[in-house]
Amino acid sequence: MGESVKTLLQRLVRRIPSEVLKTTLDKWGRLTAQQQRALDLTQPKWTLMENLWAICEENEWTLKRITELEMIYVIENPDQGMWYAYQLLDPEDDAHCVELIQFKELFRYHLRELVRHVSVKVKKHTDEAVWIRIAWGDSFSRPNHLKPTYVVHYLQTPYVFVTSLTSKHRPLLSQALVLSTRYQTLKDANLSGRKLTAIRDLLMRQYQQVFPTKCPSPLAEKNHPALKKEQDGNAANRRRMATEAFGDGTLPQLQTAVYKLETKFKDPTNRTMSDREEPFRCVVKFSSTNLLESLRDCASSGFASTPVTPLLSSISLKGKNYFVVTDNDPGALSQTRRPQN
Amino acid sequence: EYFLLSSGVLSHLSLLEVQARSRKSRLQQPSRVKELKAKVEALRVQRDQLTAEIDTHKMFLLIPSLNITAVCPNPVPPLSLTLSYLSLGGYNVIKTSQGKGLCASLTTAYEGVYLETYNVEIDLKPRLRISRHNVPPFIPLSSLAEQSNMQTDIRSFLDTLSKHLNAFAGRKQQLKLVKELHKSVEVLESNVLCSVLVMLLTLPGEKSTVLCTLNYTDHTRLLPSGVHFEYKALPDAPEWKKNCSLLMETPVHKALMTMKKNETIL
Repeated sequence: MGESVKTLLQRLVRRIPSEVLKTTLDKWGRLTAQQQRALDLTQPKWTLMENLWAICEENEWTLKRITELEMIYVIENPDQGMWYAYQLLDPEDDAHCVELIQFKELFRYHLRELVRHVSVKVKKHTDEAVWIRIAWGDSFSRPNHLKPTYVVHYLQTPYVFVTSLTSKHRPLLSQALVLSTRYQTLKDANLSGRKLTAIRDLLMRQYQQVFPTKCPSPLAEKNHPALKKEQDGNAANRRRMATEAFGDGTLPQLQTAVYKLETKFKDPTNRTMSDREEPFRCVVKFSSTNLLESLRDCASSGFASTPVTPLLSSISLKGKNYFVVTDNDPGALSQTRRPQN
Repeated sequence: EYFLLSSGVLSHLSLLEVQARSRKSRLQQPSRVKELKAKVEALRVQRDQLTAEIDTHKMFLLIPSLNITAVCPNPVPPLSLTLSYLSLGGYNVIKTSQGKGLCASLTTAYEGVYLETYNVEIDLKPRLRISRHNVPPFIPLSSLAEQSNMQTDIRSFLDTLSKHLNAFAGRKQQLKLVKELHKSVEVLESNVLCSVLVMLLTLPGEKSTVLCTLNYTDHTRLLPSGVHFEYKALPDAPEWKKNCSLLMETPVHKALMTMKKNETIL
């Protein structure tokens, strides 16, 4: 028991940058004033670890306490690792009035029914997010605290955000969530990214969307269709269409968009390829430090044609960044389960 | 009736505004003529508002027939009128994509304060479908569309949606005011929909506490459907029965104010 506490603490100290460690420890509030003063955070990590371990033994901190510290760190610094969005479907009649205590109790109960050894911690954050930390064990082994899964859910919304979940544990988590939120199924929302805040903002629509506000004069359109077409090439129009497709101001920071193509090869100059019956399977991946802002800039600068193709605007519209494109409906996009590691 | 209520209140507000203006000038130059001129102005404003309302109604009548070229609403009303029409949580609808779509802008307001504006874009062809919106996910947009028969009655759908959004915005604002105005009250639980509120109230004297839970199960309402108290010992049962009714019938931030005045809480 002592060994695993030390290992977890070591991992944490190594993982948390020194500048952040102070605020995290302060928020945790488990150090006495004297201990806080004695701790010199400018020291190299291994010295810090020695000191913290000494305090840990002095305060008799258990594994539970250290996992608390880890949870605080993750909640305050959520934009790391890889987050995946899931969507709850088919709510029961009472899904909209599930409240916090009920959810916590039901979730713990159902997960414990499914997994003999599991450690669950639920914490409500100030922005109404419910955070869950799960350390998985099984019938024979104790919970592994070194590889916890984190889950974030806002009650009364259909979205769940998850990081560090193995495919083995996914059906168990899914079942526990569905039963405690009073929905019927949980499906992959095909949205992922390194920043929880970005994928959350995209799905919760917490960014500046642009909507048409002026009534276009129908008379002008009727009499001068050519004029309108010419004006479409105009920079102001491009900018307008780009912001209508993606949004205005700072956009949620996505890093990738992946299109899995299952369409037939179309090139009149290449008969060998276009004559093939089977679809030409390939994957197109867009990468950027800020994909949505890059795409918006592409559209407003004329690099990408406007009006923005639904293939690109669907990222914001549908809140997804994984698409399967088939020939059946070239304008629309179908989704299948995206491979996860 | 929600629609009519907003226009009644907004025209009243405009009248008050005009009266205030005319009162000001009356102090400097008392004159019966000036009073009458102010009244004329107020009536003109009211007439223009009603005209704008009729225009929007006309637009709704267009949709089933999809005969876009037949009747065209007036060109965009002057900016001031548009603003007055939008006031107090109503909604405005404009046509988009050469008549193939609509965009509804729903403003929310509470206690005279403008809050968020939400937008819903609806494709009209081949059938009515919501294409884009910025309504938060805890407002069940698609089930509201189904329940209010959006396909045959857009007006009813927008009325329902406006009710939900205004009620949500109002509850959210009440929560904000509780946090701002009542520092002695600790908010223990709330949620994104603002449909539940758990507060810790401190009793004067022994400094014991009462846990107060408000449940807003009807999401179209600004007031709770249930109030529940948890306590060790309540000093004055009849007074607290009154507090219960108070919390059921008055917005929470105002109810707390009254409870402080009555000295039942700190």
